[in-house]
Amino acid sequence: MALIELKNINYCYSLGTAFEKHALRDVSMAVDAGESVGLIGHTGSGKSTLIRHFNGLLRPNSGQVLYQGNDLWKKPNEIRSIRFQIGLVFQYPETQIFEETVGKDIAYGPRNMGLDQEEINARIRESLQCVGLDKSYLERNPFRLSGGEMRRVAIAGVLAMRPKVLILDEPAAGLDPEGRHALFDALHQYRRKSGAAVVLVSHSMEDIADFVDRVVVLDQGSVALDGPVASIFAQAEKLVSIGLDIPQSTKVLLGLKAKGYSVKTAAYTVEQAERELLCFLKEADRP
Amino acid sequence: MTRDLTVGQFIPGHSLMHRLDPRTKLMLTFLFIIQVFLTKSALSLLFLLLLLWIYIVCAQVPAQKVFRAVRPIIPVIIVTALLNIFYVSGHVLWHYAFLRITDQGLFTGFTLLVRLITLIAGCSLITYTTSLNALASGLEQLLAPLKRLHFPVNELSMTLSITLRFLPTLAEELDRIIEAQKARGAQFGTGTILNRIRAFFPVILPLFMSAFRRAFELTNAIECRCYHGGEGRTKLHPLKLRRLDYAAVIFFLAAFAMTLIFNGIRQPF
Repeated sequence: MALIELKNINYCYSLGTAFEKHALRDVSMAVDAGESVGLIGHTGSGKSTLIRHFNGLLRPNSGQVLYQGNDLWKKPNEIRSIRFQIGLVFQYPETQIFEETVGKDIAYGPRNMGLDQEEINARIRESLQCVGLDKSYLERNPFRLSGGEMRRVAIAGVLAMRPKVLILDEPAAGLDPEGRHALFDALHQYRRKSGAAVVLVSHSMEDIADFVDRVVVLDQGSVALDGPVASIFAQAEKLVSIGLDIPQSTKVLLGLKAKGYSVKTAAYTVEQAERELLCFLKEADRP
Repeated sequence: MTRDLTVGQFIPGHSLMHRLDPRTKLMLTFLFIIQVFLTKSALSLLFLLLLLWIYIVCAQVPAQKVFRAVRPIIPVIIVTALLNIFYVSGHVLWHYAFLRITDQGLFTGFTLLVRLITLIAGCSLITYTTSLNALASGLEQLLAPLKRLHFPVNELSMTLSITLRFLPTLAEELDRIIEAQKARGAQFGTGTILNRIRAFFPVILPLFMSAFRRAFELTNAIECRCYHGGEGRTKLHPLKLRRLDYAAVIFFLAAFAMTLIFNGIRQPF
């Protein structure tokens, strides 16, 4: 049984008015525990609408959201407690910071869960460490931090609830390479430690290739493709036709192949591409 | 989306009302408001409703949208009407303890109800048929004579148009922040009053932060385009009064006079 499953979700904005917009059409997808799934799609393809269904912020017009096999909307009163298990990090999460110290802001989620102070403190320390910030940050004013640090504090605020599913919408948008690296390290670490499932929404094919095992492609509100990273990026033409891209390194290999070099093109990260190229060069050296 | 953002938002179109000069529309709206408050008799009330219907048709705005603009203030209207029903003296129709309903009270309450609904519905038409830019430049020109008195007309109209422009943006931002805090387990509208107020800090504070951030960004953008106030600034589309505007003014004045005449005719009440 999948940890969280969406079944035939349909969703319309402003239903019944002149501004009606069918945002999701018959979307089904499932995420298993410990899995990392990438969600990609053109702007306006319904990614942001879709992730709001995972934790019950939006109620589908039809279809089911199943968490551990239970329909979320059977007991709407319990949705709040489920939100603690399905962490959702929105775009530019640093804009939701409101407390005067980093520690207090991270404590907001755990405090809402009704945990005791000792447990809250333990979780603050743990999540702060997870995002790569040391204890000296606890008493600092979050509004004085750099953009990347603020982003990590905001994400720590969600990690402190120890969600079993972590959903992130463009977590690396606007970060410099160093901030991006620190962020993805943190996410890797959280996933390894907690065994949580991670859903990553991103426009950057590099981020997707680096971080996830499986990719779901949305196009105009429906699932266009769903499969392992390799099989998705192998369909470069289809991706381009729905306004998406493939990783730079894959492009290089495809380009070489088009020029008549017999390289293998099944590489999506810089490391994989490097390996393929070295392999190719070694073979080429051989008489 | 927790609220409907389309109330009062400009609907592009080419109706008679759309083609009027914003200055004309502002003045006529003002005239209409006075007219509504001068409406006293049953006959002029009926006439007012007829006018409203004509204006809605001329604006080609779905009547449903117009009444959606009225909806939020319906509780206020009802309370006001009820107070009038109980407090106006006249021929007593029904009484219980200290509560009395009189024929005059009933009529006054009803009049008030119709007048307020017409007022809001009528005023909503100008926002439905006039873009914010047109509204701001119309207001700027109408207030222009005040410049002699060193009244900052340009700054005022700029401030106004920025405010109106950013209302939907901030409303969207508010929704976003509410969702983000809900994802962290925020609960609104439960518990003691103190708790309810406390629950809004995590929403209001980020909203203020983001409003300030936007303000600074906007300042930079405005400076980059060398904005220096109204002095010597020309318009891409200068406002011009046309025959339609004069016709509208004549119509409104005639309607105004009709209301006064209808007020004078003897009523059954």
